[in-house]
Amino acid sequence: MNTVKEASVASLDAEPYIAALQEPGFALEFRRRALALYAQLPLARFEKSDLSRRNVRAFKAAPAAIEDPSAWFRVAESHLNPQDEHPLIVIADGSVVHVRGVEQLALQGVVFCSLREAVNKYPDLVQKHLGTVVSSDENNLIALQSALWRDGVFLYAPKNVELAQPVQLLAVTTKGGYGTFVRNLIVADSGSQASFLDSYVAAATLEDELQVGVTEVVVGDGARVKIGTVQDFPRKATNVLVRRARVLRSGQMNWVVGEVGDGYTVAEFGSLLEGEGSVSTSHAIALGAGRAHMDLTSRMVHIGRFSESDTTARGVMQGKANAVYRGLTHIRKGAGGANGQQSEKLLMLSPGSRADAIPMLLIDENDVKCGHAASVGQINEDQLFYLMSRGISEAAAKRMIVWGFVDPVLAELPIDIVRKAVENVLERKMA
Amino acid sequence: MANIPELKISGLHAEVAGKEILRGVNVTVRGGEVHAIMGPNGTGKSTLASSLMGHPKYAVTAGGATIDGEDLLAMSVDERARKGLFLAMQYPSEVSGVSNANFMRMAVNARLGAGNEVPVLKFHRELQRQMKTLSIDASFAERYLNEGFSGGEKKRNEILQMAVLRPRIAILDEIDSGLDIDALRIVADGVNSLRGPEFGLLIITHYQRLLQYIVPDRVHVMMQGRIVRSGGRELAMELEARGYDWLKDELGIVDETVSVNA
Repeated sequence: MNTVKEASVASLDAEPYIAALQEPGFALEFRRRALALYAQLPLARFEKSDLSRRNVRAFKAAPAAIEDPSAWFRVAESHLNPQDEHPLIVIADGSVVHVRGVEQLALQGVVFCSLREAVNKYPDLVQKHLGTVVSSDENNLIALQSALWRDGVFLYAPKNVELAQPVQLLAVTTKGGYGTFVRNLIVADSGSQASFLDSYVAAATLEDELQVGVTEVVVGDGARVKIGTVQDFPRKATNVLVRRARVLRSGQMNWVVGEVGDGYTVAEFGSLLEGEGSVSTSHAIALGAGRAHMDLTSRMVHIGRFSESDTTARGVMQGKANAVYRGLTHIRKGAGGANGQQSEKLLMLSPGSRADAIPMLLIDENDVKCGHAASVGQINEDQLFYLMSRGISEAAAKRMIVWGFVDPVLAELPIDIVRKAVENVLERKMA
Repeated sequence: MANIPELKISGLHAEVAGKEILRGVNVTVRGGEVHAIMGPNGTGKSTLASSLMGHPKYAVTAGGATIDGEDLLAMSVDERARKGLFLAMQYPSEVSGVSNANFMRMAVNARLGAGNEVPVLKFHRELQRQMKTLSIDASFAERYLNEGFSGGEKKRNEILQMAVLRPRIAILDEIDSGLDIDALRIVADGVNSLRGPEFGLLIITHYQRLLQYIVPDRVHVMMQGRIVRSGGRELAMELEARGYDWLKDELGIVDETVSVNA
């Protein structure tokens, strides 16, 4: 394993890349400011993850040149259903390679395009929101991502518009060592409703790769947004992911998160419940095998009065995988009447796997409701005996128990093919 | 006759967590027969049931058991079931996310073996028919296995599984506990409808009540981890009328349980 010292940009000459992007001034400014932060900030530190033992230099200033135009399809095939018609954008190795069904959205005034395109076509909207939910100075890797983000999607739902279908981003990395920096911006204006799904997949043979992903969401007054996100990068990848929403008055944000890769992952997802009566749920599933490391945090910050959050997580660890699942509910002063609930259950299927569930309730306000339930364990002996006593083999019985265990989360994924893809991963890991 | 099932338990000793509970149990159950094992609490009745089915918590230390002449104890739990042994449990597990109907179909297909699976529609018709017989609401098919079921519903669900799986030898472990008289009658009717030369039954119970509805051919009394008295149906009635103390006096047993003096 490569040993990497505290971040240094000595070898990172990103200015030519940034200058060549031909973006409007605010966007270039955003990148350059972030690049300066990257140079100043020390390597991101996490309580349960040590990135100094990972190759966080597995990126280059500019993305890989695409040599084989169909390479992405071979990697992503199982995540695509040719019968599907919902709007889809595929980004491979940093560039848009496939777009489907976005015209129908324009009729409703909905914008669904690549973020690079949006920076030029909708500069006001992008400038207003970019970097307002996830600040570039959170740590050096977020700063790096903010400077070098390759592409991603911009989704804008105008006032009171309800999207008829979910929209999807499929981000594919075929070649390691260049850095996967996907950035999404989702803005749901007041009273609108949208459902977005993003999947991150990479070639199984991927060499060392740094992935830093940022998804920023703004849920306007009374708007409802559902986001399903699935990450499946293989073992040499180091993944740092932040998916965060600001939820305004009476808005609702529902997260469905599938972390199913075998790499080294530090991921945070959740909502800043700023508005009075704002609501957020999160359903997360973590499937670890091999030597997967998963440091997952669901973070719900209650700022508005009578805001509510409900977090459910299920984790299944195989092989030598280890998982830390942190459920963080923070009720800030002023968030009277808030209600934050969480439940996390982790299952260890092998003697070499490890799992920790850490519920954290930070409460700075009286008159609130908070609850948590956490459990970590192995397959229940009595359940296994019960199923086997009806003639079902041990392997099949275990599979049934695990399926039943993850079902409440899987059932929430909004697009069949994505659910199917996660199911396939589970089948593969259980084999 | 090759097709008459036989469960033969010979000198069975078993322990749980290093503590001996069964101390030499001998019973043979054949197709067409109903045996009842009675006895006060803590005498090893449920341990016998769980040991025969192969619960990992129970270790057989001596003696043996065969089903149709084959060594039952050498088989894994699922193999025992596929040979035709069934245990209706006192405390059935709840399994979230697994529907009752899917579970039963998988169990039936496991019994039939790959290539002989029952067609889905045929299975559901049979399931609905059996559910009706047992007065189980049709919605239970799609509910998660035992999750949120009342005690009585769980017991009925055990009998439903038995009716659908059609075992050769069934053990009912305190199937009557927690059932009101109407439910008891329904369960008993369900059990009785399975009786025949290809079905042997071993009923474990505290009370004679169940045996009014499922009339046994043989009654065995268990104390201190072994069978201390066997007889016909009249033995059950005598126990109901006089309790267990006269039998303890006759046998010179002070403490009938296995839990204290082990």
